[in-house]
Amino acid sequence: MRVTQSMLTNNMLSNLSNSYEKMSKLQEQVSSQKKFSKPSDNPVAAMMGMGYRTNLNQIGQYQSNIAEATNWIDSTDDAITEAVSAMQRIRELTVQGSNGTYEGEQLKTITEEIKQLKEHLITLGDTQIGGKYIFNGQDTNVRPSSVKDANGNTVYGTGDINLEVFSGISLKINTDGSKIFGDALAAGGSIDQTIEALENGGDVSGTLEALDATINNFLGMQAQVGARQNRIELMTDRLKQQEVFATEILSKNEDVDIEKAIMDLTTQESVHSAALSIGAKIMQPSLLDFLR
Amino acid sequence: MISTFMGLETAKRGLSTSQGALYTTGNNVANANTLGYSRQRVNLVQTSGFPTVGLNSPRVAGQIGTGVAAETVQRIRDSFLDAQYRTQSNKIGYYGAMSESLTKMEGVMNEPTDSGLAATMEKFWNSLQGLTANTENSGAREVVASTGVMVADTLNYYYNSLTSVQTDIGNQINVKANEINTLISSIDQLNQQISKVEPHGYIPNDLYDKRDVLVDNLSQLVSIKVNNVIPTDYGRASDVATGLYNIELMQEDGSSFVPPINLVSVNQTGMVGTSKVEVSHDKKTGMVDGLKFGSKTLTDYKFSGELSGLIKSFGYKKADGTIGGAYPDMLKKLDNMTTAFVNEFNAIHKQGYALGDDSTSALNFFELEPGKSAAQSIKVNGEIIKDPTKIAAGGKSGGASGDNENAKLLADLKKKAFSEYLTKDQNSVELTGSFDTYYSGIIGKLGVDSQSAQKNLSNSVVLAASVNQNRESVSSVSLDEEMTDMIKFQQAYNASARMMTMMDEMLDKIINGMGTVGR
Repeated sequence: MRVTQSMLTNNMLSNLSNSYEKMSKLQEQVSSQKKFSKPSDNPVAAMMGMGYRTNLNQIGQYQSNIAEATNWIDSTDDAITEAVSAMQRIRELTVQGSNGTYEGEQLKTITEEIKQLKEHLITLGDTQIGGKYIFNGQDTNVRPSSVKDANGNTVYGTGDINLEVFSGISLKINTDGSKIFGDALAAGGSIDQTIEALENGGDVSGTLEALDATINNFLGMQAQVGARQNRIELMTDRLKQQEVFATEILSKNEDVDIEKAIMDLTTQESVHSAALSIGAKIMQPSLLDFLR
Repeated sequence: MISTFMGLETAKRGLSTSQGALYTTGNNVANANTLGYSRQRVNLVQTSGFPTVGLNSPRVAGQIGTGVAAETVQRIRDSFLDAQYRTQSNKIGYYGAMSESLTKMEGVMNEPTDSGLAATMEKFWNSLQGLTANTENSGAREVVASTGVMVADTLNYYYNSLTSVQTDIGNQINVKANEINTLISSIDQLNQQISKVEPHGYIPNDLYDKRDVLVDNLSQLVSIKVNNVIPTDYGRASDVATGLYNIELMQEDGSSFVPPINLVSVNQTGMVGTSKVEVSHDKKTGMVDGLKFGSKTLTDYKFSGELSGLIKSFGYKKADGTIGGAYPDMLKKLDNMTTAFVNEFNAIHKQGYALGDDSTSALNFFELEPGKSAAQSIKVNGEIIKDPTKIAAGGKSGGASGDNENAKLLADLKKKAFSEYLTKDQNSVELTGSFDTYYSGIIGKLGVDSQSAQKNLSNSVVLAASVNQNRESVSSVSLDEEMTDMIKFQQAYNASARMMTMMDEMLDKIINGMGTVGR
């Protein structure tokens, strides 16, 4: 093939610009830490990347939903635990009152304490987290004890509050207040029966059974809450694993292998400078240089 | 009998021919870097021998050569390589326009990043999840409203940016059409000049070169085929005369249009005329709806080159009345997606109950302007921005503060397939998958299209460079070679001059040295 000066010049120019392009791509990779910046750099990876990001984001959102659910359920558990100990104290006092050895004044004190404990249970029924009443169904901004029916009973709100804690899995985060506090505090309920019996100086041993039923009711609820806590823990673990996994996939998909990128860049730089110096040499001589 | 001065004449021819060759060498050197210049060569031929055959010709032993003459000065060029180069340069034009407009589109869409629509939508879905957890919280409601505004803003931005890039491309179409017309008339003018020189037996190498450069440029804009035509009645044209160029517009598969479209039309009787291109736009949509070449109108744009690449990006009206093209396609997809999303979101939203409300909200969350594109006009209902308690998070009447049932339905829209939409009957048939997967599909397709345009472009660039290398190998000036030629012709010139001197001495002997016996 006949080779001329202009061919050498053109070749060298196009080789140099290719080499520049490669360098700029590598430099971009090193500085952005990403294998690609536009979908066209790697359409499949870009599309997958969008999917992985969605996954990761969803996992993050479920984690924050789970945190909210945990908050509710832990608070419910605390409230019920406290209610149970209050009920047990009531039971203790009732047993004392049933002994028949106490005088009228002492019985009055017992009655007074039971009344206070009842007030405490009402307060527990008004438990709030973040300004929300957790035992009042969907009416979360209404204090349960502020709404009474004709008999003076507290009317707890109704309705479930569900949160999505996993793709397609919703978890009920609230607990029906009427079924626990409502029953315990109802007019004519076990506590009222006890107070009435004590005030009338009557026989209180008959109310112990009713009190036990109430305590059992509380414990039953607590078991349900506990089950939900376990479920949440399981979900949390699973989400954590998924988060690690999704982050890893995302990283594999688009993060650059920095050692390799830097090595490539260095190699490319030396190739480039070699190309430059060879170009400078090859452009110089022609027959003209040797003719007088 | 050979003439006394024949040797002088032979030497003189040698001198002037070598001189001519040296001048051509000088011209080659001078034009070593001229764009489109092809090196020239003097075709040297022997002049006819003496004596010529004839009744009265002198009887001598044989013919004696009478020297050399410069027959033609011809440029060295391979028209086959020209055709190859033009095919590649045409592809460069087409894929260059395509890849540039698609790269701009990628720039506007800005995916995958933290600021594209995908990320904005994620924020919106998250805000809805936040709402399900905190329906009574006005902060959570404000976040839903404001991320809703972000979604609307992003779609508006996409629409506006895409249409403004599209308008730029539309302007380029007109610029390129003008360029094509200028090239056509310049080639036609060169044809005319050449037709005035060639019949005299001259070879207008400079005009050929100029014309070939113009044809190279034209080939980048539209796909063409060049036919050399030497008219039948063409004077004393030389054998190596190139003739006139007839330039035909070709389809992308390399076949002729029926009937053929000649941009520069030449036939056996001479030049017929030119067909200038005229781009017409549909009045309603503004899309390209036809290309007029002279009296013929094209409506299927089945040719390649930059013009076609620009039209296929900008958008054109097909024969069946539908609109095609990369930008209209993208805008339509965004629009269909937005419309479906807005309709469904509003339908679910309207079923819900606002905070403290006993009857269904009946309020649209997003609003579209009728008659305008959905992506262009989507915005969040002003009433909701003013009062986010109107966001219908509740699923039943009563307006309980913790009722999040409708909010959950709204958040679930993220994963809902278009085919499960309540409003699916209003949706375009093209929509598949969920909002998220459909959108990432759009981006994936854009990536693939843009990548393939870029790959085709770089392939064409490599091929064109290689063909151009071959072309240069044939046509470009090598200084070493010219210097060698210079020495060669210089020596030939010197030798002819020496012959002249020798003849002089010989004649001196005859004239001054003979007949002087005994003096």
